[in-house]
Amino acid sequence: MIRHLFTLIWNRKRANFLLMAEILLSFFVLFVVSLLLVNNYHNYRQPKGFAPDNVWEFNVDPGQDTVDRKGTLRRLVQELQATPGVAAVTWTSSNTPYSFSNMNTDQYRYKDQKAPLTEVYDADDEMVRVLGQKVVAGRWFDRRDDAATHTPVVVNQKFAEAMFGQESAVGKVLTDDKRTRQWQVVGVIEAYRSGNDFAANEAALFERHVLQDTAQYGNNTLLVRVQPGSGAVLEQQLVRKIKAVTKGWDANVNTLAENRQDKLRIMLTPLVALGLVGGFLILNVALGLFGVLWYNISQRKAEIGLRRALGATGRGISRQFLGEMLVVTTLGVTGGLLLAVQFPLLGVFGLPPQVYALAMSLATLLIFALTAICALQPSRTAAGIHPAVALREE
Amino acid sequence: MENILAQSAVRPQATAATLAATAQPVIQLRDIEKVYQTKTIETVALNRVNLTIHKGEFVSIMGPSGCGKSTLLSIIGLLDEPTSGVIELDGRPVQSYSDKELAALRNQKIGFVFQSYHLINDLSVLDNVELPLLYRSGVGGRERRERAYAALDKVGLSARTNHFPSQLSGGQRQRVAIARALAGNPEIILADEPTGNLDSVMGEEIMDLLLGLNRQEGTTIVMVTHDEQQAHKTQRLIRFFDGSQVQ
Ligand SMILES: Nc1ncnc2c1ncn2[C@@H]1O[C@H](COP(=O)(O)OP(=O)(O)OP(=O)(O)O)[C@@H](O)[C@H]1O
Ligand SMILES: [Mg+2]
Repeated sequence: MIRHLFTLIWNRKRANFLLMAEILLSFFVLFVVSLLLVNNYHNYRQPKGFAPDNVWEFNVDPGQDTVDRKGTLRRLVQELQATPGVAAVTWTSSNTPYSFSNMNTDQYRYKDQKAPLTEVYDADDEMVRVLGQKVVAGRWFDRRDDAATHTPVVVNQKFAEAMFGQESAVGKVLTDDKRTRQWQVVGVIEAYRSGNDFAANEAALFERHVLQDTAQYGNNTLLVRVQPGSGAVLEQQLVRKIKAVTKGWDANVNTLAENRQDKLRIMLTPLVALGLVGGFLILNVALGLFGVLWYNISQRKAEIGLRRALGATGRGISRQFLGEMLVVTTLGVTGGLLLAVQFPLLGVFGLPPQVYALAMSLATLLIFALTAICALQPSRTAAGIHPAVALREE
Repeated sequence: MENILAQSAVRPQATAATLAATAQPVIQLRDIEKVYQTKTIETVALNRVNLTIHKGEFVSIMGPSGCGKSTLLSIIGLLDEPTSGVIELDGRPVQSYSDKELAALRNQKIGFVFQSYHLINDLSVLDNVELPLLYRSGVGGRERRERAYAALDKVGLSARTNHFPSQLSGGQRQRVAIARALAGNPEIILADEPTGNLDSVMGEEIMDLLLGLNRQEGTTIVMVTHDEQQAHKTQRLIRFFDGSQVQ
């Protein structure tokens, strides 16, 4: 019977080729949509590498005040740290977690190894106490780094693996592309996915900046870890303190949790839109397949009647139609898989192999489910066709 | 017991046959009615038909167009159900068979030759002839092939096995259809104007083929025809008019 199916499909290759092409294309679209969804989900499941809960972000703006900004900031940090309910305060660049700014560069070199595109953050000694990054090798910045000859940096594992491979990162000295600057790695953290919940685990590097330095000033962002359960009362208190210390600088507060929600919403909007478009596309394909099968069966009524006359049961007829659809789908999906497998082979998006594998399986599953659903009703109708009536059709 | 009663009820026709009264009835129709109901009109295609066909008989059916001959064949061939009345196959009422059993009966007992050939255009001649064996369990691919070749040989088409129906003449197509019926080696052949589309020489050949099958293999044949000469070569002629038997 299987050979018979193949013979039938082969002899009807022109009609089946179109059907196969439709299945191949829809498989491909499903694959790309699946790839996007699976990749986002995969990223979502990766460790964030830091703890955003109970962290508040203060953006202070000196405005027209030009008198000893750095001294004022230093005093402000001390005041905030001394406030009951505050666990730690860090002074950093504006690319805080879930913010809309980022800085990246691929200027770092180690021997001949060129760095991948790396997210760069300014950090002080306190940051690890505020954001809780997990140090897996070496240490976070501290007073010992005051005497460093090269700018101390902490990198994430992704960066360390890309630059140093299996070798230990701690103590390694990086230069820039013109070999004019040097950085020395003092520690490695597990990960730092701070852009949004779906951000990939990209290479990251923290450069030590402290308020005690005389040079390099320009950051006006403070992150404050507060005791769990702190609310509006503490917030008011901190804002009043900022006003008092800075004598009128502007200050606004957000919690990282709020920022995270905002960012998530913005990330989800295109995903949902794409999902909807994908959904409509699938619906379209389903209606198309359904129509084709329906037409196919009405075209083949006489054949159905004949097969019944020669001894096919109604169920046998429906199985034949399902079987034909299964073979055509399998051929279409095989073609689609051959195309899809080029993505990881050619390294188009540079996603992890298991993401591709999962997306392929998902798309395969979906397309088989889709064709099964579309083929079920027409096949059942075919089974119910009255043989004597069908034989009158010519 | 019921069997004997049934036989006596249709005795007038049975005695009209040239067949020995001792032969077993294979097909019995009792008070068969077939009414086609459409939105506008009701067509009585068969009106209280009683008919007994015995094992090994060659029966021809004649009648004007639209008198219900094809309808009768599809009811005998278990393709259609009568509106009322009883059909018995080998003494067992057909109503008691399941869909699966009916399919098996059609496959093993009955071979059809249709008025309009009904070949599958997307299958080669050989694949078409193999079809009934495809639905029979226990017949392997090789045996199918051999039996299909043998059947095509009988109808003189062994040189055309790889052709497609669209590449054949009407007469050749009808011979393929006959070969398909032969391949299954059925006890009963139901033929609806098997020579209707053929010239007289070809018609003669097909007729001889069927006669030979009837004599040598004892195949029971029911044939619809418009050809008086052919009809007279068979053992019994039944005439139909407007859904009723007239002779
Ligand atoms: N599916 C149907 N619906 C309605 N009427 C039908 C249907 N099938 C057959 N009929 C009617 O039943 C009657 C008998 O048709 P049938 O095909 O049995 O005639 P026939 O004797 O085989 O004719 P011919 O010699 O032209 O083949 C006709 O009047 C036909 O119109
Ligand atoms: Mg007819």
